[in-house]
Formats: sequence, C-alpha cells, structure tokens
Amino acid sequence: MSVILEVDNLQKSYEGRKVVKGISFNVARGEIFGILGPNGAGKTTTLEMIETLRPIDGGHARINGVDVAKDAQKIRYMIGVQTQSTAFMDKVKLTELLEQQAAAYGERVNAIELLADVDLSEKADSYVENLSGGQKQRFSIAAALVHQPKVFFLDEPTTGLDPQARHRLWQLIRKVRDQGITVILTTHYMEEAEVLCDRVAIMDEGKIVAMDTPADLVQKLLKKGFKKARKVEQANLEDVFLNLTGKELGR
Amino acid sequence: MKIFWVVVLVLVIARIGWRISRLVRKNQPKAQPARPKSNKDLSQHQRNLFTIWVFAKISVKRYFRDRLALFFTVAFPLIFLLVFGSLSKGSGVTFHVGLINQGGSAFSQKFINEINTNKSFNVDKTVTSLATAKDKMSKSEIDATIVLPSDFGAVKDNLPAGQAQIYFDENNVQAAQTISSVVQGQLDGVNTQLIKVKPPFSVKNVSTNTGGLSKLDYTVSGLLGFSIIGLGIFGPVNYFPEMKKQGVLRRLHITPLRVWQFFVSSVISNAIIGLFSIGIMIGVAAALFHFKMVGNYFELATFITLGILCIFGIGLAIGGWARNERQAAPLANVIVFPMMFLSGTFFPRYAMPEWLQHVSAYLPLTPVIDGIRMIATEGKHLTQIGPQLGWVAIWTIIIYAIAFRVFRWE
Repeated sequence: MSVILEVDNLQKSYEGRKVVKGISFNVARGEIFGILGPNGAGKTTTLEMIETLRPIDGGHARINGVDVAKDAQKIRYMIGVQTQSTAFMDKVKLTELLEQQAAAYGERVNAIELLADVDLSEKADSYVENLSGGQKQRFSIAAALVHQPKVFFLDEPTTGLDPQARHRLWQLIRKVRDQGITVILTTHYMEEAEVLCDRVAIMDEGKIVAMDTPADLVQKLLKKGFKKARKVEQANLEDVFLNLTGKELGR
Repeated sequence: MKIFWVVVLVLVIARIGWRISRLVRKNQPKAQPARPKSNKDLSQHQRNLFTIWVFAKISVKRYFRDRLALFFTVAFPLIFLLVFGSLSKGSGVTFHVGLINQGGSAFSQKFINEINTNKSFNVDKTVTSLATAKDKMSKSEIDATIVLPSDFGAVKDNLPAGQAQIYFDENNVQAAQTISSVVQGQLDGVNTQLIKVKPPFSVKNVSTNTGGLSKLDYTVSGLLGFSIIGLGIFGPVNYFPEMKKQGVLRRLHITPLRVWQFFVSSVISNAIIGLFSIGIMIGVAAALFHFKMVGNYFELATFITLGILCIFGIGLAIGGWARNERQAAPLANVIVFPMMFLSGTFFPRYAMPEWLQHVSAYLPLTPVIDGIRMIATEGKHLTQIGPQLGWVAIWTIIIYAIAFRVFRWE
C-alpha cells in the first residue's frame, strides 16, 4: 500500500508551551486512521497543522508528496475537512450550500445527487438550521467531499449524536473510504475506534504513545498479563437500545 | 401621492403573484434537474469568476430571506426618511401673531383682512385683549401682537392715517422686528397708493428657485448616505464576527477560496442589495415629498455603487479584523458615529461651523453624499464631479489596503 500522508517530527508550541512534541506517523491510501487521546492531547492541533489552518513550527507534513507548509493552496484542493456541524450560513438551502462549497473550488456540482449519497434528498430545500444533529453531520460530510478530495479529515464526528445516528455515520464513513478516499479522524470513543478504524494512534501530552491496529493493541495489552476486573457480557445496554429502536442499523 | 399608491399596488401584486407561483410549483411534480455542466473546460480565470458569481448570488438570495436584515436595511432608513422628510417639508417662515383691532374704521377692517390672508402670518383668533396677548407672548405661544389703535384709519387732512403698534416680549425681539418690517411693507404699499408718488428706490424679490436645492434635497441625499452606512458598515460588523463564531469562515478558509474572491463577491452582493434599498428610498421620497430626481439614473447608480464599494470596505475591514462582537462593535461606533454626523447624513454640512466643514470634507462619506446630491438634485454628470470621484477612489484604495491586511478567517 502506498503512503498518502507522511508526518515527520511535527511540532507546535503556543506561547512557549509545547502542545505537539515532534510526532511522526504515516497513513496508507484507503485507510481509516484514528487519532485517540484525552482532551488537550494535541489531536486537534495536529489535524489543523496538516489541514493548513495553523502554521507548522517544526517538522514536515506531506500529502501525496506535497509539503503542507510549502504549497498550502495545492493541499487545499486535495483535502476535505468536516468541521463543526453548525458551520454553515443560515437561510441558505442545502443545495445552495453545496453549490457554494463546490464554487469555492471553482467546481460546479449536481447538489441533488450529492444529497442522495448521504440520504438527504428530501431535505434539498431545507436550511441547515432545520436539520437534526445526525442529518447535520451527514450534510457536513457531503459538503466536505464536493470536490472529490484524496484525504478526508473528521474531528470528533460523532460527539453528541445518539447511537443510531452514530452507527449511520460509521456506515457513511466506510462508504466514503470505499470510494477510495483516505479517512483520518479523531475521537473520544474507544468503541468507535475499534469498529471503524484500520489503525489508530493514541496521543497523550503531545506525543504518540502507541500506534497499531485496534486488535493488535488489545493483544499487546493482554500479553502483558492484563485482566479486566469484570466479566465481559455478551451484550451491553447499547445493544439493547439499538435492538429495540433501530435494529437494521446494527453493525 | 399617486405614485406612492401605484408603488404599493405593484408591490402587493408582486407579492401575491410570488405566492401563487410558489403554490403552483409545489403542486407540480418536480422536474428532474438537468445535469449541470462541468467546469472542466474553464480556465483558472473563468473559474475564479464562477466562484465569485456563485457566492454573490447566494448571499443576495440569503438577504431577501432574512426579514430582520430587510427591516434594518430597507424599513429603518425609510422611517428616518419619513421623519426628516416631514420636518423639512414646510420650509416657508410663518409667524404666530395676535391681532387686536381697537378702531372701527373701514380702513382698519380692510387692513386686518390683508393681514389675515398674508401667508407670513398665522393669526391666533383667541387673542382679543392685550392682557391675553401679553400672557401668550410671555409663554412664546405667539411671537408678537399687532394692535390697531382706535384712531387707526381716521381721516386727517383728506387722507386716512394712523400708527399700527407691535407689542412683543423681550424673549422674541428678532421675530418682532421681522413682523414690524412686514407690516411696514404693507403700509408702504398703502402709502404709495394714497400719495401717488413712485418711490425712487425699492427692493424687488427675485426667486432663484430654478433647480435650486431645498432642504429636502440635502435630507434625502444624507439619508441615502445613512442607508449606505447601515448596510455597508453595521451589516458586516454584525455578521462577520457571527460567521467566525459559527465557523462559517473557517470552513471557507479550508478551501482554496482567496480573500480577494470573498471580498469581491461580498461587494457585489452588497451593491445589489444597496441599490435595491436606495431605489425604494428614492421612490418613496419622490412619491411622498416631491423629491425631484433630475440626474441620469444610470450615472446615479454607478456613483452609488462606487460609494457602496468604498463604505462597505470599512465594514469589511472592521468585521474582517474583529475576532468577536466585543471587538467589532466599539470600533465600529468610534468610526461610524462621528462620520455619520459630520458628513451630513442628518444635518446638512453647510449648517456647521466653517472649521468643522473643512475637517468633515475629508471624511470618506462626505464625497459620497455630496456626489449623490449633485447627480440626483443638481443633474450633474459624472464628468462634473471629479473631486468627489477622486476622493471616493482615494479612500477606497486606503480602506481596502487596510481591509486586506487585517482580515482574519477566525
């Protein structure tokens, strides 16, 4: 597999305090790559540097061989970023928002088709402020992908969503990956990382402390002789909830 | 007045028509939208223009869906226009006077009729005695009292004679003097008829009111300037920090959209909205206050567009610089309020002390308001308002140089 994103000794400080302390990782084409970590670990700052939103203090980031610090404009055509779900103008129809987003890249798109891809066809004439949380997130993904990017960044995409909306979003993210788009996301939810990500990097205090597939990370821990205090149930409350309210959306 | 109702009728019909067309469209099965053309064959230059066009189009649509924005940019300046227009409507001078006729001669009766019909006087009929007159004068309810004594108009040496008396309060000396000279003028007319001598020297009033400016002309062009400020400065100062807070600008920052493209599309949409709002104001001013637009509409629209370009730059600079409302609002007030009062939005600049006129001549809004007035009410052409165009151009360059430098996406 070829590498699409190379991050090499990336650093960032705010007012003399190091927030990202020289991290390095590679992401392969077509992967879903997760960055986990507690609040303040530097996940968002790392993404923002790669997304050209923040100047890089040290090290390099290259997407498809293009240096982020040297050719930001070229990078912007290659990446899609899902920002906060509310970050759209009010009183603008969904189709118009997609047309506008595409126009920022100089492109013309079929907004109806793009909305169908994220199951929002019937909302074409609505405004963003009238969508539910899950619908907003799906729309936000459609908007981020109007220009067919090579890499897709999501920052905590499922925070605040109910379990069904979250499962639906996971399906959508997999669908995006199946179109050949590399996905890089941050999350707080271990379950999300486990079911969705091919590989994860765990960050703490500006450093990557572990990086592997979720299964291998668990195996490594078990090899160290770790035992869970409580016996693992065959089902949990979330499974009950989903079974009762939205069976077809199960994994 | 007729035009006003025609405008109202047209608006109502347009509104009903729009509703019906919406209903019809809703009930029809939606036609499959044609597959949009691709932009693959366009050059980079054409793509840039496409970007600007789409952004401008959508923000104009958005504006017309926003009732609050419509109120503040169209209805609000209209309210000012109604208030200031009514104030400057009656531009003639009238005096409130009491009139007491103590005599009973035919001559004095004739003279009283003349004063009653004189447009300079508004006679208070409740004044019948000197006592009530004095009371009313001390309260400034009337400016002076004209008293014709009992011997007024009595015939002496074959000619009627007499002396009219003007009573006035110390608080109203100037009005009393003017009233005296008006009454004196009237008596002079009588004198020359009686003595049949043509006085060698006289004064003749010549009206120059051929395309001259009334106070209303200043009011209207000033209020158009106010409307440009409201739309061009208060608008972006409010919604730019809001868009930053919501992350709307951050989303755009991630795209290859350039700041200049964003600026140009904002200027275009602002100019379209501004011309719409100003068109309504000129229509209302013409219908209700007999405002005469004597200039060329195309030249007026061109100049107003340049004015909007210039003033909107101030809003772009403040709103683009500020991280939040707390930074934007105070700065906007510091810049806007002095400019609003000194550039002649509410009071004409000629009413200011001379030194202040010299200072305010160099504010960016002053040439905009002056230029609008020169085209709209003096019928001047763009080629004749070179200084105004020059100042607007200089300010536009300065303002946009600053706006580009201080703009922040977040």
